Amino acid sequence: MSPRKFKSGDTVDFVVVGSGPAGGVIARELSVAGFTVLVLEQGPRLSPSDFEHDEFKYFYLNGISNNPLQSPQTFRPTPDSPTKLPESRNPLIYARVVGGSSTHYTANYWRFHEVDFKERSLLGSIPGAAFADWPISYQDLEPYYTKVEWDVGVSGLAGASPFDPPRTKPYPMPPLPVKSSGVLLEKGARKLGLHPYPAPMAILSQPYRGRPACVNCGFCHSFGCEVMAKSSTLYNMIPEAEETGRCEVRPESYVFRVAMNDKGRATGVHYFDREKREHFQKARAVVLSANGAETPRLLLNSANARFPHGLANSSGMVGKHLMFNTGAYAHGVFEHELNEYKSVQVTRVVHDFYDSDPRRGFYGGGGIDARIGPQPIGWALATGPDMPRWGADLKARLEAFKRSMTLYGHTTSLAVEANSVSIDPELKDAWGIPAMRVTYKDHPDDLATAKFLQDRSVEILEAAGAQKIWRGSVSLRTSSVHLLGTCRMGNDPASSVIDKYHRTHDVKNLFLCDGSSLVTSGRGQPTMTIQALAFRAAEHMARFARRNEI
Amino acid sequence: MTEPAESRRSFLFSTAGIVTSSWLAANWPGIAAAAQHAAHAASVSGSAPVGVLSKTELLDVEAIAAQILPSGATAGAREAHAAYFIDRAFATVFANRLQEFRAGLTDFQRAFQTAQPAAASFGGASSDQQIAFLKTVDRTPFFETMRLLTIIGTFAASKYGGNFEGLGWKAIGFEDQHVFEPPFGYYDRDYPGFVPYTKERAS
Repeated sequence: MSPRKFKSGDTVDFVVVGSGPAGGVIARELSVAGFTVLVLEQGPRLSPSDFEHDEFKYFYLNGISNNPLQSPQTFRPTPDSPTKLPESRNPLIYARVVGGSSTHYTANYWRFHEVDFKERSLLGSIPGAAFADWPISYQDLEPYYTKVEWDVGVSGLAGASPFDPPRTKPYPMPPLPVKSSGVLLEKGARKLGLHPYPAPMAILSQPYRGRPACVNCGFCHSFGCEVMAKSSTLYNMIPEAEETGRCEVRPESYVFRVAMNDKGRATGVHYFDREKREHFQKARAVVLSANGAETPRLLLNSANARFPHGLANSSGMVGKHLMFNTGAYAHGVFEHELNEYKSVQVTRVVHDFYDSDPRRGFYGGGGIDARIGPQPIGWALATGPDMPRWGADLKARLEAFKRSMTLYGHTTSLAVEANSVSIDPELKDAWGIPAMRVTYKDHPDDLATAKFLQDRSVEILEAAGAQKIWRGSVSLRTSSVHLLGTCRMGNDPASSVIDKYHRTHDVKNLFLCDGSSLVTSGRGQPTMTIQALAFRAAEHMARFARRNEI
Repeated sequence: MTEPAESRRSFLFSTAGIVTSSWLAANWPGIAAAAQHAAHAASVSGSAPVGVLSKTELLDVEAIAAQILPSGATAGAREAHAAYFIDRAFATVFANRLQEFRAGLTDFQRAFQTAQPAAASFGGASSDQQIAFLKTVDRTPFFETMRLLTIIGTFAASKYGGNFEGLGWKAIGFEDQHVFEPPFGYYDRDYPGFVPYTKERAS
């Protein structure tokens, strides 16, 4: 069936802002359920042949990510610090294309564990943090995790990790072929009594639902997949939504304001097209899945007489509790070639340190995975306390590229109220819309956790027989691709922005679903959970719509 | 997912320090247009203008790059034409940073002349003299910029002007192919398969 093209003046059932991991799922689910859906995506729509093996373009020229020259952001570590323009890329990085960040993600697809949803109750309060339980449990989300694995396409081995939460169905396909880094992680970790297991990845290990298996080209992390094996919404949810004949995806459509009527209902959205012409799209309900940076910015820029401090912001919580996921790495050099630049980033993971343990003296936990890490430029630019920066020593380090691997500890970030997305009082973007100001400083426990996992990574590398180990820096973060917690979910309208169905507490027909919905950060791989939330949210949105409750 | 490792102190990708928020807000359309035009020009291999650095500047730039990634058993920055990449980059994608770069290079050259008055130029000095001097300036923003550019010029795709004939990639053994098949390396060749755990999770 041909994709739907709505006419100017049409009122759609749902307008979805953003076509990424959440927006793509919601568009597909709602259109399959029989509703008309218009997806507005600020970036262009690319095809597999548009993606390139070009590290310089994708990492240093903002190839498919938000560009600071078009969409600048300012940064300050604390509210009383001076605000600065970014030192390099924008502080909050996302892919600005159809498919959103599912286009350039690494595709690690761990489920959150049961503890992630109730750690506040289990561990109590933490000084300096707005630590809270989720209003839903792992059990509430489990059916949707399964739906992600089967509908989106995830490779993995059910039951392989003794730490995995309960599941109702195995993975739809086996894990991807193990790499040398995975074998060495297994060797070192098992020697230490740990439990490495095959990494769940949203990359196809075999042909699935009309898409081919991965060809192991090695360009996943921050690149678009050239063979459609990476399970981006660009390749699965979006085409399936269009196939219903009820969904249109309109690229290069930048939404800058949600419109409201005097009855307190959202009536649609204002957006710019490719030529910067302004349009208005009417809708019965508005869904913001613009990511954890742009969703709060859009709400704050949609302030009106009823909501002078930002739309749906009676709690004052819109934009607050920004979480990044902290982390730290260690490189290991081995005797023989690993050739880590071949194939996907990760094939083995260790979750033995997932849970927070009060005996460590700080909150936090995480997972350690084995990976290549960056491509050649990033590899050469990596810095650490004892890593050579230039000269013969740097050259020698680089010449060990084929014999090297990385262990990366992915860790928690605590929700801190001051860490936030707000509106910069001066700066505007390329369309004249107020830019975002990012305030972020890691909680001390976050850095302690990162250092803890780096120490464990070093132990694993030593046990695996590494000849040389380089530690990366553990320092305060100033940028991230994980944009979490800025419109948190909760039962109390005074302390949260959306309810457990993703409906804003303040506006009945305004829904939010993306990284902004998360209450806690998980352990570094949030997209799986964002998509599970999106499947669940879409089901409830459809239910409300059928009852005429939007 | 992780962020790329990159220099935090190089001015190259920085908007901080030279413009204010207000300035950027007022001037962004021109900047964005210039950057987009430059990026487009650079993407058309061979069509971008080359030659914004003088011969003297280029010799010093090449000499600095050659010390950052020296030649040896494998190619270094010199053989990879990193200096050519740098020259071309300031004609295209970093055109708006040329003046700043040139000022940094001039300061570098003056400081070298003060430290080594007998040497005609950094590029003409002995390797020992060059290394001794670089050790005194290797924490400066200009050096960080040179480090960044040298590495990019050695390892970025050849279409940008460096990594001549893929020599940078060859030096570290990186292969850019669209298809690889397992086994990928020495350690996964004889992998017997994942062995499941039989014991329950320890408390």
